[in-house]
Amino acid sequence: MITFDRVSFSYGSRSILQDLSFSVQENERVAILGGSGDGKTTVLKLIIGLLRPDSGSIWIDGEEITTKTEEELRDVRIKFSMVFQEGALFDSLSVKENVAFPLREYTHLTEEAIDQKVRELLRRVGLEEAIGQMPEELSGGMHRRVAIMRSVAAFEPRMFLYDEPTTGLDPINADLICRLILDLSRDGGGFIIVTHKMFDAFRLAKRFIFLKGGRIIFDGDREALRSSPLPEIRTFLRELSMECNG
Amino acid sequence: MRTLFKNVIESPWAYLVNYLPMMNKRVKEFVHDLQDFYLLSFQGLMGGVRRPLYVKDWIDQMDYAGSGSLLIVLLISLFIGMALSLQLSAELSRLGLKMYTGKVVGISIIREIGPVLTALIFAGRVGSGIASELGSMVLGHQVDTLRVFGVDPVKKLVTPRIWSAIIMLPVLTIIGDAVSLFGAYYIAVFVSHQSGTFFWSSIRDILIYENVLAGAMKPFLFGYLIACISCYMGLSTRGGAIGLRRTTTRAVVLSFIAIIVADFILTRVLLYLLGFTV
Repeated sequence: MITFDRVSFSYGSRSILQDLSFSVQENERVAILGGSGDGKTTVLKLIIGLLRPDSGSIWIDGEEITTKTEEELRDVRIKFSMVFQEGALFDSLSVKENVAFPLREYTHLTEEAIDQKVRELLRRVGLEEAIGQMPEELSGGMHRRVAIMRSVAAFEPRMFLYDEPTTGLDPINADLICRLILDLSRDGGGFIIVTHKMFDAFRLAKRFIFLKGGRIIFDGDREALRSSPLPEIRTFLRELSMECNG
Repeated sequence: MRTLFKNVIESPWAYLVNYLPMMNKRVKEFVHDLQDFYLLSFQGLMGGVRRPLYVKDWIDQMDYAGSGSLLIVLLISLFIGMALSLQLSAELSRLGLKMYTGKVVGISIIREIGPVLTALIFAGRVGSGIASELGSMVLGHQVDTLRVFGVDPVKKLVTPRIWSAIIMLPVLTIIGDAVSLFGAYYIAVFVSHQSGTFFWSSIRDILIYENVLAGAMKPFLFGYLIACISCYMGLSTRGGAIGLRRTTTRAVVLSFIAIIVADFILTRVLLYLLGFTV
């Protein structure tokens, strides 16, 4: 479904990604790992056309998206459900209005039907009580849950993209988010999760891509990752063993 | 600094060659920014005549820019009118021309001080608000989220702000002018002991087409400039809280400069077009 072909990207003079090439199938569960500033979030933004690469090409379902206009990218973006770090809920809108936002943009439902749909989505994540609250009144975990439900409100995405969905959350809330991610992918839908939390990555993903300095230094399954001799990966795995032992 | 000076003196050619790529990059960045600014300003304005219109956002922005700024405009305009009347009464009475206070105050407020002062207040309050709000939306990925949902951020965020500024700044200017004149009247009559009837008849005399047009044209342009600069600055925010502080400050400073420069150019053009001799 997604193919990166020798993609390079930089912010001004700072190079972020260099000659990145990989493919991801629709039903794959992929974790992109790496340190801060290694280009993990940039990969997600490139997939949905929020950023354009300096060179190389990105293909979605056999179509090159790097040359598409903002209008044409709309059709590409509805194939994905993107959840940004910390949820990115609209500050000025209530929880209800946030979840209803894509419904108003993409559907012609009546107010009553929108209200019913929003309640149904929030009930699924145990947040129906928070329907009238503003984002500033929600905890970090509630933010993420509302954001995930907003991203699936209007259409059935073919693939989910999660940017650090459990970062900054306590273990209970992180567990809730992980269970929600698995639940949404129960019918075979794949996802790409960007994280530096090895524990969550191991719990959710089956394939692991490790970025360092804008290049892929590892691409493989769980067993290959565990036995990798690369020092960067060993450092990340140490965190995993500490969490498991702890 | 001394080393730099020494390098330039000893080998100006080498210095120039070394710094040319950097200068080239800066010039390119500046031209690129300018191009983006023009594009945003044009698209933001034209968004007002194309669907979808996001009516609720227009109303919210007009409320924030208009009624939200009313109190501060009233307060500052009142005291500026009073201070101006005091200064002119004192100066004109020394020349024996105290009865012209109304006329001079009226022309100053309607043609120059009213539009510029209200625009400066508007830039300080609304411009900084726009820049910081859009900046925090950029940093919090809310603008990216809009794009993911297929919503054009220019139409949703910039167009309502530009049009609310274009509509509300002239309204605020008219109200501010009126309050300034009342303040000037109060000082002229109750402090400077001038005739109230004569004061108002002087004001009526100067409310001619040329003066009113000269004052009424400016707020439309000032509102457009403030909103475009603030939106552009807000949407180009990078680098966390420090970046947000920098863009908010830049939005206000650039708006102030734009208002003052545009005021001079517009005044010169309007005086020429309306047939005033300088």
